Parts: sequence; structure tokens; C-alpha cells
Amino acid sequence: MFDAQSINLSLEILAVAILVTAFLIVSSRSLLFYVRLFSVQSFLLGLVAVVVATGFGEFHILVAAVLTIGVKAIAIPYVLNKIIDRIKVHKEIEFNLNITTSLLVCGLLVILADSVGKPIIDAQVMHALPVSKVLPESIAMMMIGLFIMLARKQAVSQIVGLLTLENGLFLSGLSITYGMPLIVEIGIFFDILVAALILGVFVFRINETFDTVSVDTLRRLKD
Amino acid sequence: MLDLPSLQFMAFHLLVGGYVLAILIAPLRDRKPFSRTNTSEGNTSQQSFLFVRYFGFGAALLASLSGLFLSMSVLTTGSALHLDLQQTLPFGSLSINVDPLAAFFLGVISLLGAVVSVYSFGYSGEYAGRKNLSLLVVLYNLFLLSMSIVVIAGNAVLFLIVWELMSLTTFFLINYEHEQRASRKAAILYIVMTHIGTAFLIVMFLLLAGTAHSFDFQSFRNSSAQLPSSIKTLIFFCALIGFGIKSGVVPFHIWLPEAHPAAPSNVSALMSGVMIKTGIYGMVRVYFDFLAPGPAWWGIVVLAVAVASAVLGVLYALMEHDLKRLLAFHSIENIGIILMGVGAAMIFMSYGNMPLATVALIAGLYHVLNHAMFKGLLFLGAGSVVSATHTRNIEELGGLVKKLPWTSAFFLIGALAISALPPLNGFVSEWLTFQALLLGFNISDLSVRVAIPIAVALLALTGALAAACFVKAFGITFLGLPRSSHAEHAHEPPRSMLVPMGVLAFACILLGVFPGSMISILTPVTTFLLGGSASALEVLNLGSLTIPQSGAGGVSPLTLVIFLVALTVLPLVLGLLLGGKLQKRAAMVWACGLEKVEPRMQYTATGFSKPIRMIFSNIFHATHEIEISEAASPFFKQQLRYELETESVFEKYFYEPMRSGVVAAAKFIRRIQTGHLQSYLLYMFIALILLLMFAR
Repeated sequence: MFDAQSINLSLEILAVAILVTAFLIVSSRSLLFYVRLFSVQSFLLGLVAVVVATGFGEFHILVAAVLTIGVKAIAIPYVLNKIIDRIKVHKEIEFNLNITTSLLVCGLLVILADSVGKPIIDAQVMHALPVSKVLPESIAMMMIGLFIMLARKQAVSQIVGLLTLENGLFLSGLSITYGMPLIVEIGIFFDILVAALILGVFVFRINETFDTVSVDTLRRLKD
Repeated sequence: MLDLPSLQFMAFHLLVGGYVLAILIAPLRDRKPFSRTNTSEGNTSQQSFLFVRYFGFGAALLASLSGLFLSMSVLTTGSALHLDLQQTLPFGSLSINVDPLAAFFLGVISLLGAVVSVYSFGYSGEYAGRKNLSLLVVLYNLFLLSMSIVVIAGNAVLFLIVWELMSLTTFFLINYEHEQRASRKAAILYIVMTHIGTAFLIVMFLLLAGTAHSFDFQSFRNSSAQLPSSIKTLIFFCALIGFGIKSGVVPFHIWLPEAHPAAPSNVSALMSGVMIKTGIYGMVRVYFDFLAPGPAWWGIVVLAVAVASAVLGVLYALMEHDLKRLLAFHSIENIGIILMGVGAAMIFMSYGNMPLATVALIAGLYHVLNHAMFKGLLFLGAGSVVSATHTRNIEELGGLVKKLPWTSAFFLIGALAISALPPLNGFVSEWLTFQALLLGFNISDLSVRVAIPIAVALLALTGALAAACFVKAFGITFLGLPRSSHAEHAHEPPRSMLVPMGVLAFACILLGVFPGSMISILTPVTTFLLGGSASALEVLNLGSLTIPQSGAGGVSPLTLVIFLVALTVLPLVLGLLLGGKLQKRAAMVWACGLEKVEPRMQYTATGFSKPIRMIFSNIFHATHEIEISEAASPFFKQQLRYELETESVFEKYFYEPMRSGVVAAAKFIRRIQTGHLQSYLLYMFIALILLLMFAR
């Protein structure tokens, strides 16, 4: 089949591509673009799963790959698109942190992730698990996801941030093990699907109650 | 046949069973056992009221008598009762251990418990149809049960459970008259303070268990030698604060004068008489049983706290006009006197002077018993006065000696005892404390030589001030003319309330006149704590209460009685023999030129305590305000208003800064609680990044 060298190379290329989609999300201000980027990101993640499954002969990961593409690349973006249509908010106008600074911070986060992930990879002296080379990218994804939730105010961006974070988790799961046991994977997918649906409903309610989907207004709930 | 262990076993089960039975059965006869007020009218409710009253307090009486039997059997035969409830908890087995120290405290609790239970038959009649009696019975029994188990617990977990149970039942008892705002405030203050104390106790037990690898008291005892001295010091302070809060030593006393008066009088007698002694029990248990011998400075710290409690307790008592609050402040004073004995014993023990340590410890423990007797008596007396007049303010009383002759007589005996006048019991224990302290001059250490004379001087001052205070309390309350209609229409309480007071008064006299035989009961306790050679019988010449080797002068209480009686009778006899015939002369009492003597002309409690207020003005910080309204000319005053306020130094300079500090810290920390979703995310984000960067 394939030799280890080419599998490694293709995995790294895919991981970098996923990271690039995360950066693109940070750099844009259109909600529809976010969702599309997230869909692409999930599709690439599915490809990673396929490569891992075929390259290392762990075929049960194929199920996870199909679910990733089916749920994250198609179903959730569809739901999010509907939400955006319904609440009629297409642009992110206010930021907690402007785009330039955000990109700079994300760059720093990647450096941090790399410095954290490198020693772990180096520690595996034998490099018995070539997949683990994408660990820094997955850590960076998680942090960028959390950062998106921090920097943006729209409820939809919060959801996209959370999902990006989750994609990072999935990537790290793939990179450290050959994917988690199937039952766990399936559980997580349904979790994510349900979470996305519930968050979607919440966004409607927030919109109805406060006439805005900015999470700023939620602080009124404090008192 | 019935041998001693099985008798003790039975007594223990009767003790627990009696209280539990009352707790379970008493509410059953009630239709609404835990309703807030129980005012249902009619014959049946009257019957069930009587049933609850007699059954509830009767069971308590039975249980406390068997507790007394258990304690006496341990103290006289010296065979301890040990029960293991195997595998009851994951922390090891819960165990009951009635060793001599536990038996002594159990005896004190049970003795006062029995007497107060009889008193409660009559006293609870006051609540008929007004309050829920089942609740009182349940809480009263629960209170006695938890106190009894606190002192006989042989395991830290069981100890903490019943300790908390005791705190909580006391909280509800203070809150019993919850319709009064003062009661609710006192209860809240009490529960806050006592929980701070419990927190310290938990820390203390965990420190002890860390080395012992078990929560059993026996293992604490065995492993204490391995504890590093820094941990020992930490344990010392945790115990001092934790048990000190419960026993109400200065500066942790602020809850005590609020809480004790708020509870029903029979409960106040128990709280003041024995509950605060559980703190003393804890200190003695930890300092003499687990950690002995500690360094001498521990003893000096305890002595300092004790002296401060004694002096400040009595000074604040002097300023009180509320009869029950006054007595509560005297509890602080007496706890101080008890701790003086304990602290002195700790000093002597660390220098290896066991005979002297024995005397000091006997003095402290004997005062525990004595204080339980006379403070119980005084609170019961105050309860009778309050239920007869419905006021606690002594400025509204007066002349009660004619209306309540028996109560007055018993109260007088209690007052004499607490003022440490011979031949009553208070004198004996203070005399022993003096003697132990004075002989401490022989210790060569400089700090001890400085500390002890100060303690002696302040103990003497305390005694004098206590006497002054009870001249005020007795004189204003019982003598003179009634100052209000409350006092004018008072009646003697029923016999079931008088008899217990009589018993306690008799006990005060007995413990004062024949201290030797009573102190010999303490022998197993001191032998248990201080080693074989420290038997009270060997150290003390019990007839004259002196230490034989010391060469100090002795005093025999019995001789003192004879002298006192002789001194009273002799002048009369001489007068009759040598003087002429007695003549009667009737004349008007001079009333300062006014028409007749009025109650308002009498010496007031405020006036009586004024000289002391002036002398100690920098402790009281008294401020007064006089308002005079005149009619036509300044020579004819129409109305005079006098307002006096004393300031509590501790509340202002210790608790207030602490409280405001806590509030300020809480306000500061509140700032990070913005309610902004994203700021919480930011905290997580920053924490994550910091962890990734530094915590690898």
C-alpha cells in the first residue's frame, strides 16, 4: 500500500490545511463564510480519518470518518445556515478584539502550541506513532477555537468556535491514538449534533428575547 | 450474676436509651409535633401536654441518673468501660470509651442534667398552650444525649458528629423563643462562632490522624511522641481556638452573653453549667492525654487567656442589668478560673513537678464541678424569678425576698458560692487554685515567675469583683422595695422547681464543707492523666487542703464553718448575757425630707456599679447622656432621663475589623464575577495558556 513516509506527509499537509481554515475563520467577518469554512475544515478532518484508517489498517476509524463528514461537514453547517437565514444577521460588526490583533494572537498561539507539542513528540524516541506529529496543530486548533469564542460576540460565532475546538480535540484524539474506541466516537458525534441543535434553538430564543444575538446582553441575567 | 462490667454496660444503654426514647415517643402523642406553635385547646391536648411533660423529662431524669451511676462506678472502681461498634464507618470503628476523665465529665453532666430535668417538670408549665412542648422535650433530650456522648466518645469521627449535633441542638434551643428578634440574632451568632470552632477542631484531628493513621483516640495517644514540635504547636492552637470558642474564653466569648439568656432557663442552666465545660474537657483531653507533656509556654498562654477571661468576664458582668446576661458573663469568668488551674497544671507538668500539677489540675476540675452546681443553681433561680415576674431587668425587680423566700435563700447560697466565700464550694476550688499558683514560685524559670504572681493578683481581683457583682445582683433583685408591678405581684414557683434548687444549694454546701471526700473521687482522673505517683490522696492533705511538704499554711473548711457559726452566734449570746433588756422603738424612716420612702429612691444597679465603672473606665469606654426637662424654673425638674452605654472592646477592635475585612475581600473578589459570559471564557483561556506554559 503506502509507505510510512508518504502517509506522514499527507497527514501533515492535511493538518496544516485544517489549521489554515481555522485562521481563515478568524480573519473573516461574514457568518456564512464561517460556516462554509467550518464545513471544509470538517471535510478535511474526515480525510485525515480516512488516511489514518487506510494507512494503518484501523478500519473502524472509517466509520468515524463517515460520521465526521456526514455530521460536521453537512448536517451542522446546514442547521447553522438555517439559523443565519432565520435571524437575518450576516455580518459580525463588533469585535472584542479586532481582526488584525486576533490573527497576531492566533499566530502566537500556534507558536505556543508548537513549543508544547514538540517535546511530547520528541519524547517518543522511536517515533512508533507517526501520526502524533500533528499534535501541535491540534493543540493550536483547540486554542484558536476557544479564542474565537472569546473574541467574537455573535452567538453563531460562539457555536463555530466551540465546534472548531471540538475538531481540534478530534484531531488530537486521532494523532495520539489511532482514534478513540468507536463507541466513544459515536457518542461524541451525537453530543456535538445535539449541542449544535440546542445552541441553535438558544440563538433563536436569545434573538426573540433581546432582539439581538450578541452574547453581551446575557449579562443582564446576572442579577 | 450482675458483675460490674455488665452493670456498666446496662447503665450505658439506659443512658442512651432513655434520651432516645424521649426523643422518639414524646412527639408521638402530639397531633402536630413540630408545628411552630401548639395552641390547640381542649382536654385531650391538656392530657397530651402532661404526658409529654412527664414522660419527656422523666426519661431524661432516668437517663441522667444512669449516666451518674456509670460515671461513679468508673471513678470509684477505676475500671473503664470500653465499647466498640465494629466496622460502622469507613474511617474505622466508632467507639465509646469511659475512662476516668470522661467519667468525671459525664458525672457532672448527668448530675446537673438530673436536677434540671426535675426543674423542667415545673418550668415547662410556663409554655403550656403557648409554645410547642414536644419540640422542647426532643431538643432537650437530644442536647443531653449529645453532650454525654461528646465526653465519652473514643474516636474522633464520633466525637465530631456528636459535637456538631450538640452545636445544632443548642442552636435550635437558643432559637426556641424565635418570635423574639434577640433570640434569632443570638442563635445566628452562636452557630457562626461554633462552626468556626469546629473547623479548627477538624484541622486538629486531621493533624493528629496524619501521624496516627487512625481516628481512634488510643492511637493519638500512642503516636503523639512522633509528632514534630511545629505540628504539636499547631495542634495546641487549633485546640485552644476550637475548644475555646465553645467554652467562651476571651476573646471568643461574644456569643455567650447573647446565647445563654435567649434559651429557656432550664436550658441556660445546662448550657452555662455543663455545655461550656465540654470545651474544657476537650482541652484537658488534648493537652494532658494526647500531647503531654507540652512546653511550658503552652501553659503560660492558657494561663494568660484564663486570666483575661476571668477579669474581663466579671468586669462586663458588673455592667449588666439583665439577670441572665449577668450570669452568662460570670460563666466566662468561671471558665477563666477553671483554665487557670488547667494552665498552671500544664506549666508544672512541663517542669515535671507532678505533685503541684496534680493540685492545680484538681483545682481546675473541682471548679468544673462546683461551677456546674452553683451556676446551675443561679440560672434555675433566675429562671424562677423570670417566670414569676416576666422580666429579666434587675432594675425592675426588688423586694422579692418577701414574695419568693425559698428562691431567694437558694439564690443567696449560689451567690455566696460563686463569690468564693467560705464555707461554700467556690471557696474550696479557688483556694486550691491560689495554693497551686503560689507554690509555683519554686519554679526557677523567669517567665513562669513573672506570670504566676500576675495571675494570682488578678485572680484575687476577680474574686473581689465577683463578690461586688453578686452584692448587686442579689441586693437589687431581692432586697428593698419592688420597683415595678411585675415584682410586686410575684409568687413562689411550684415545688418541683424549688426542690432542684434546694438540691443544688445543698450540693454547694456539701462540696464546700466536706471537700476531702469529694476530691478523693478525682484521684483516678489525676492518676490517669499525670501518672501513678500523682494521686490526689498522696499529694493533698485532704483534711486541711494543704500540700504536706510545702510548709504553707492550711485551712480546714470544717473549722471555718465552726468559726463562722461561732462568730455569728457569739455576739448574740454575749449581747444577751452582758447587755440589758432589748427595747423596741417604732419610728418613721427618714425619707430625705419627702413624705415617704418610695421604691424610686433606692440604690439602682447602675448607681451601685458606678465606682467600678469609673475605675476601669478605659476598659468600658462608658458614655452617658443626661437629659433634663424643666417645668418653670431650673429648681423644679420635671423629668430626668439618663442613658448609659458601655462599649465592647472586643467587638469594636477585634471582630469589627475582621468582619469588615471579610466583607471588603468579598467585594474585591466579586469584581471578577462580571456576569459577562466571555470574561469567564477569558479566565479559562488564560488559565489554560498559563498551565501550558509553566506547568509542564
